[in-house]
Amino acid sequence: MNETPRPEIAVDGLPSRGRVGWFQMATSADHKDVAKILMVGSGGFLFIAALELLLMRLQLAIPENTFMEPYTFNRILSLYGATSIFFFALPLVIGLFLYVAPLQVGARGTALPRLSQIGGALWVAGAVVLYAGFLWTPSEAGVNPLPPLSELAFLSNNGVDAWLTACGFATLGFVLIAIDLATTLRVDRAPGMAWRRAPIFAWTAAVGSWLMLFIGPILLAAFTMLMIDRNYGGTFFADGGGGAPILWQHFTWIFYSGAYMLVLIFAFAAVAEIFSVFSRNPIFNRGAVMGSIAAVAVIGTLAYMQNMYTAPIGLGWKYFGMLMSLALIVPIGLIFFNLIATLKDGALWMRAPLLFAVGALAVISLGLAAELQQSLVGAAWYLKNTTDSTAATHFALIGGAVFGGFAALHHWFPKITGRTMGEQLGRISFWTLAIGTLVAFVPMALAGWDDGQVVDAYKFFDHTGVNFLNLLASIGVLILFVGVVLVLVNAVASVKGGARAGHDPWGGDTLEWFTISPPPPHNFDVRPDVTSDRPLRDIRAAIARRAHEAEERAARESQPVA
Amino acid sequence: MTPHSPGTGQINTLIWIGFFAALIVVVMINLGLFGAVRRFRGGRGRTANATAGAPRLQFRVAGALAGFALVLFVLAVIFTGNALSTPKTTAAGLASLKGEPLVIKATGQQWLWRYDYPNGAFSYWKLVIPVDTEIEMKLESTDVVHTWSVPDLAPKVDAVPGKDVHVIFRADSEGEFSGQAATLSGQAYAPMRTMVEVVSPQRYEEFIVEQQKGIRSGQEDAEKIETEKLQEEEAAEGGEEGEVEKEGPAEENEQPIGEGNEAEEE
Repeated sequence: MNETPRPEIAVDGLPSRGRVGWFQMATSADHKDVAKILMVGSGGFLFIAALELLLMRLQLAIPENTFMEPYTFNRILSLYGATSIFFFALPLVIGLFLYVAPLQVGARGTALPRLSQIGGALWVAGAVVLYAGFLWTPSEAGVNPLPPLSELAFLSNNGVDAWLTACGFATLGFVLIAIDLATTLRVDRAPGMAWRRAPIFAWTAAVGSWLMLFIGPILLAAFTMLMIDRNYGGTFFADGGGGAPILWQHFTWIFYSGAYMLVLIFAFAAVAEIFSVFSRNPIFNRGAVMGSIAAVAVIGTLAYMQNMYTAPIGLGWKYFGMLMSLALIVPIGLIFFNLIATLKDGALWMRAPLLFAVGALAVISLGLAAELQQSLVGAAWYLKNTTDSTAATHFALIGGAVFGGFAALHHWFPKITGRTMGEQLGRISFWTLAIGTLVAFVPMALAGWDDGQVVDAYKFFDHTGVNFLNLLASIGVLILFVGVVLVLVNAVASVKGGARAGHDPWGGDTLEWFTISPPPPHNFDVRPDVTSDRPLRDIRAAIARRAHEAEERAARESQPVA
Repeated sequence: MTPHSPGTGQINTLIWIGFFAALIVVVMINLGLFGAVRRFRGGRGRTANATAGAPRLQFRVAGALAGFALVLFVLAVIFTGNALSTPKTTAAGLASLKGEPLVIKATGQQWLWRYDYPNGAFSYWKLVIPVDTEIEMKLESTDVVHTWSVPDLAPKVDAVPGKDVHVIFRADSEGEFSGQAATLSGQAYAPMRTMVEVVSPQRYEEFIVEQQKGIRSGQEDAEKIETEKLQEEEAAEGGEEGEVEKEGPAEENEQPIGEGNEAEEE
């Protein structure tokens, strides 16, 4: 029936480990179990975030719509901001790092597993607080709750407190996991795996962990200060009493810029792994990609003042923000160059992971180009806080977390579950997502650029020339929502019903494909010595060599003695 | 946007420079990406040629990228500087200023802009300024962060409580230019709009006199009839509020707020 060879279909079967109950899952300190909680949770929150975006776009489909009350819109907006960043993008990225990176470096577990366990539990607690808070008294302070609006004087119910607690718990969880990951990747790499031989994804997990160690505490400090302001009469961000509202912007933009870079470098690293595996080529220049990824994390976070061009800070600081933003052109350009060059002379195997990886680069390129236009100080005095900036951010983060995340999901799904995701549905969902993203955010960018439609507003007015563009954007978000649902359905259905994958369905060169799928609790029976940056390829070559020698020996021995 | 001031003209040029830079980036990346995918897609069996990236090539690419970034940086600094350089009042502008900028104070409050002119006149929602005259607008906020944005005339600026912020611009042509607050400031943020009417200097001076007269008579009435104070204030500002009703699509939100704030001002 099936004519084409399907080498990814089972060769070694699933190990029988008995049923893992939810209790065992919840109390496990195994990095794979914690990561699974993060990834499954982030899949659910992606659905919720897409639903929230769809609701907001329904309100904005026609001018002066009365579908939603203004405060309802602000509540959903606040919830959407928290859900999409703290409960979808970052846990997906960190979950994949936590699952894959220790396997890639041949570790038998993480160095400080209880930290990751506590981190995962804190993240779950944050999610519960956010949605319990939404049902009780939601925040109305927006995606980034800027004081003074988020101060007690203007939003006096405890919605903002719940929002801060939820996102604070999640961030603390990420920081704890980052400590575990950074330590593991530092001390627990397989013998012989110097950094120059470490997989790009594992390297990026280390860089990302250090980045989170830097930005996470800054956000936690800001959240704590705002909590003190709101509940204990503090004046950190209040005008008067020595406080300054601008301080909040510095703190939070450092975090948000860093988180943006974390998603970007995650996507670049996932794409690098996938390009390399699916083109049967090594990365064009590993050193350049690894160096550039570290540079993006550092320079991109330093560029945080790019978000403050309209704020009362000195012009010199704005130029500094612009200089850092434009400096990103060099490492990001090098990454794009080397990734595309990896495909050169390759034998591309067009499966869903590669499709999503190519899509991720294309969508990210749109987002980063739009950000490039936004990063010019004078241009931003018009473009900032219009829907053009919303579109730019969404292109980059959807390209990174949705397309990049789904590429990684399709790529490592066989390792995580032992089964591959449905290929046909994967393709359909990819094209649905791609069309949805373009139809949603290109008109949004145009409405911002051409007509100055402002961000975060619960309605727009007739005769401002944006009616059609907004309708189009709403239709696009609907398509995007359908695409997200298709991917999630595919993933859920494939956990039980996917084609069985062997330990190495794609023919990868890194060590996570060395162990069985799904990996046993101790990851590896044998930790191989690593002598190059493609350890599994060396192992395969050694096996082939030995098999060949055995054959020769057998052939020799079977010959009649002369 | 249609620029109607020297500053926004520069900003518009810079936006287009940014757009073409972005276009180059998008086209180059996607041509390379999809070109490579088209060319090298194929069966699994084909053996790939291993390629190694030469370090010299990496430096060349990095150099080209750095050059591109540097050119953009220099252009952005030049055009941003041009947009900021103070545009002086021309002969067609308000003569009585003698080269000084016309200082207007704009106060953002949830969810309305108040404009204070020299000589004690003030207006809500709508700002009237003379054409070809250098305006120095001092921005204040009485509550939360509000972003004052009239895209055709001036750069976007945040009014932050406790910070001295100002923006300088000069309108080049008469007409009405709409603006919209651009930072989430609470429930009625979306209808927190504003209007700048650019008029001839003569008309501007007439307007100031009208406003002063209206405000004075309103205050006298208020003193006379203490109990009807609020209603009288409304009448004094009737001219503007009427326009809000005519043009403002958001009167259901602005009208009561405007009244409330005026009452507080007294």
